[in-house]
Amino acid sequence: MAGNNGSGALSSGNFGEVYVEGVTKIYEKEDECQTVLQDCTFHVQRGKLTVLMGPSGCGKTVLINLIAGYEKPTSGHIYIDDISVVGPGRDRLVVFQETALFPWMTAYCNVVFGCQVRKVTKCEIKERAELVLKKVGLYEFRDKYPSQLSGGMQRRAELARAIINDPKILILDEPFRGLDAMTRQLMQEFYVGLFEEVGRTNLFVTHEIDEAIFLADRLIIMTFQPGRIKAEIEVDLPRPREFRMLASPRFMEIREQAIELLYEEAAKAFAAGNKTAYDLVGAVVARKGICKKQA
Amino acid sequence: MKKLKKVFNIRVLRGIISIVIFVGLWQLVVFVKVPYLKNLPYPKEVALDGISAAGTKIYWLNWEISLIRIFIGFIAAQLIGIPLGLAMGVSRKFKDFTFPVFEILRPIPPIAWIPIAILFWPTRELSIYFLVFIGAFSIIVINVLQGVSNISVSLKWAASSLGARPKDIFWRIMIPGSLPSIVTGMTVGMGVTWNVLIAAEMIAGQNGLGRMTWEAYTNYNIPLIVVGMVSIGVAGYLCSSLIRWLGERAMPWKKRF
Repeated sequence: MAGNNGSGALSSGNFGEVYVEGVTKIYEKEDECQTVLQDCTFHVQRGKLTVLMGPSGCGKTVLINLIAGYEKPTSGHIYIDDISVVGPGRDRLVVFQETALFPWMTAYCNVVFGCQVRKVTKCEIKERAELVLKKVGLYEFRDKYPSQLSGGMQRRAELARAIINDPKILILDEPFRGLDAMTRQLMQEFYVGLFEEVGRTNLFVTHEIDEAIFLADRLIIMTFQPGRIKAEIEVDLPRPREFRMLASPRFMEIREQAIELLYEEAAKAFAAGNKTAYDLVGAVVARKGICKKQA
Repeated sequence: MKKLKKVFNIRVLRGIISIVIFVGLWQLVVFVKVPYLKNLPYPKEVALDGISAAGTKIYWLNWEISLIRIFIGFIAAQLIGIPLGLAMGVSRKFKDFTFPVFEILRPIPPIAWIPIAILFWPTRELSIYFLVFIGAFSIIVINVLQGVSNISVSLKWAASSLGARPKDIFWRIMIPGSLPSIVTGMTVGMGVTWNVLIAAEMIAGQNGLGRMTWEAYTNYNIPLIVVGMVSIGVAGYLCSSLIRWLGERAMPWKKRF
């Protein structure tokens, strides 16, 4: 019951769903056309954590920019519930790949920026900011500037800046990239806990298989250049998620399935000279080697 | 605190040692009568001349006149240059119309403007203000323009997602985001400004530190020439320090811890 009260304060529980329908994005550069996304159709379910996966350079970030309304699709439509996306909006907030905290504002000012520009009363801002900052464990650091915070703290500040506005959908574009392994794991744990507590619709982008499966309710796997939707996998691991599930047979099964699907795309990306794909191919080769030995 | 003080003292001590060595070498150069430098006065002569100059009203009046010229020209350049640079950075159309003319005028050294400035402006004083203005103007415009275009697009995106209107983005993202470049432009511009001022005073002025130095030359008063040079150096240093201090004040996020 106490937990319910906590989430009630963090969120009004008004969450949305995303429909991406036949979205194609073509960039034209000096008579040269590059199809980045081709006929992408998928659905981000209400209250679920959907993970978008694919090798680097497959157009994941472009897709995010389209959903967020920063760019417009060449053709196709994106709907939030029944409303077509025409521009950026506070109903879908993005946590960016590289930190997008405003360097000239303290953690507190960053977090309350959205409330301030919308002219929320000072009293209410203060109350909500306190709650959210305590939630992400940054209350003591509220007067620090982003450059004075560690990588993990910066990510938490950015999460706080989004969730204080109680968006219908939270979009995260490789938010834990560039963090060291330990911090990354702690952030994954913190993030999945936050999701499980509030139950907001989340769209999470990553190219890391383990991270994807650990977090996801549903995996969407994309192809490499042009980006298309290759497959969707239901991740039926129980919640709350814990790290020991990474060793469970079901996790391994899903992982195997995902790797099988990703391998072809990663190999394509590898041939195109992509570093992340190289890591992925390496992981797959190592895995297959183990299988052979056992056989 | 004690430790900090100690480090500070060591660094100040090193600075003093370097100045002492410099003066010692100067003394040596004059003493052994190095060819071409035999007219150079001893440090002591310069110091005595400096002290006696510092006792006169006219010396400090020259300081005042030069500083007023610098600040009028420099502030005018900031007041016109910063908004112009921001406008160029924010509006593609405005940049397309203004930037080509700006780029044609920019490579002209400020000193090359001296003849036309003297002919153009009704008083000598106004023409000197104008030359100082030219010295700082193009540097601040270029820096602001670069500062605005260096602001990461994801910051603007993040702000607009959070509900910021164009007005909010301008005042809360564009302005603070370009502030580091504005301060850089001011620091560099201040240096150029002193170059231009001294040249303008030597050619067109009736007073000021540059004129004082030039008149010492026409009177063949070598110690006073050196006094003038040192004064100009100190004045330039003080002005740059002021800009740096203001910059640190305006950008508390640049300080670590």
